[in-house]
Amino acid sequence: MGDIVQIYNDYKDHADFLTVYVREAHPTDEWQMKSNVKDDVCYAQPKTLEQRVAIAKDFTARYKFPLPFGIDEMSNAADSAYAAWPERLYIIDVTGHVSYRGGMGPFNYKPAEVRDWLAAKYGAVKHEAPPAATASTTATPATASTPAPDKASATAPASATK
Amino acid sequence: MKRFLKWFGGVLAVLLLAAFGVLCYMAGSPKDAYRMARYALPHMHRGSLKIGSDAPDARLLALDGTSHFHIRERLGTRPLVLVFGSFT
Repeated sequence: MGDIVQIYNDYKDHADFLTVYVREAHPTDEWQMKSNVKDDVCYAQPKTLEQRVAIAKDFTARYKFPLPFGIDEMSNAADSAYAAWPERLYIIDVTGHVSYRGGMGPFNYKPAEVRDWLAAKYGAVKHEAPPAATASTTATPATASTPAPDKASATAPASATK
Repeated sequence: MKRFLKWFGGVLAVLLLAAFGVLCYMAGSPKDAYRMARYALPHMHRGSLKIGSDAPDARLLALDGTSHFHIRERLGTRPLVLVFGSFT
């Protein structure tokens, strides 16, 4: 289970979460990624809200995505207000102010920073690393470097499931 | 002056080639580099929100496809983690 879902499971008793589906980052009619073809995630950029809903439903069903979900309207109001495309993370505090502003994904999309923010406030939740992952990290630390966009093409909701 | 312009042009060309090379490396291919320049670069410095800014509101459609709600309606007595993204 991916970073965001894991963070959600760890901190859902302390914080509220909301996933906002914004316009597609790598649709078939714009900047399609080979990795999306390989993963059979091929959608044209939605032209109607109904098409956005259909893709969002495909996504949540495919990954059994547990976070609360909302869909940006065709005016892209949420995207514009938060400079959200292609993926971005924020934390809003209880007074309604931005308390954490993540960078633009995929290169600066860092769920670990959200985890750190929550851990500083509510305490760290530790997980034992899977033995295979530990061995891999130890053997080839270079694999932890930022992958090329094609390798990291899936944006927030999809990457959250990796 | 002519010599300066010649050097300046040469250096500029080398820098542009290097930038294109880096972009190709980051994107994976020249084709993807072009698409990155077209679709992603214009968004690099979008937005003016900073730590401490009022969180903007926006109306969203629920997954049921019929009901709507506002982001700020989800603010309560706990912090709200917003996760923006798409499927592809």
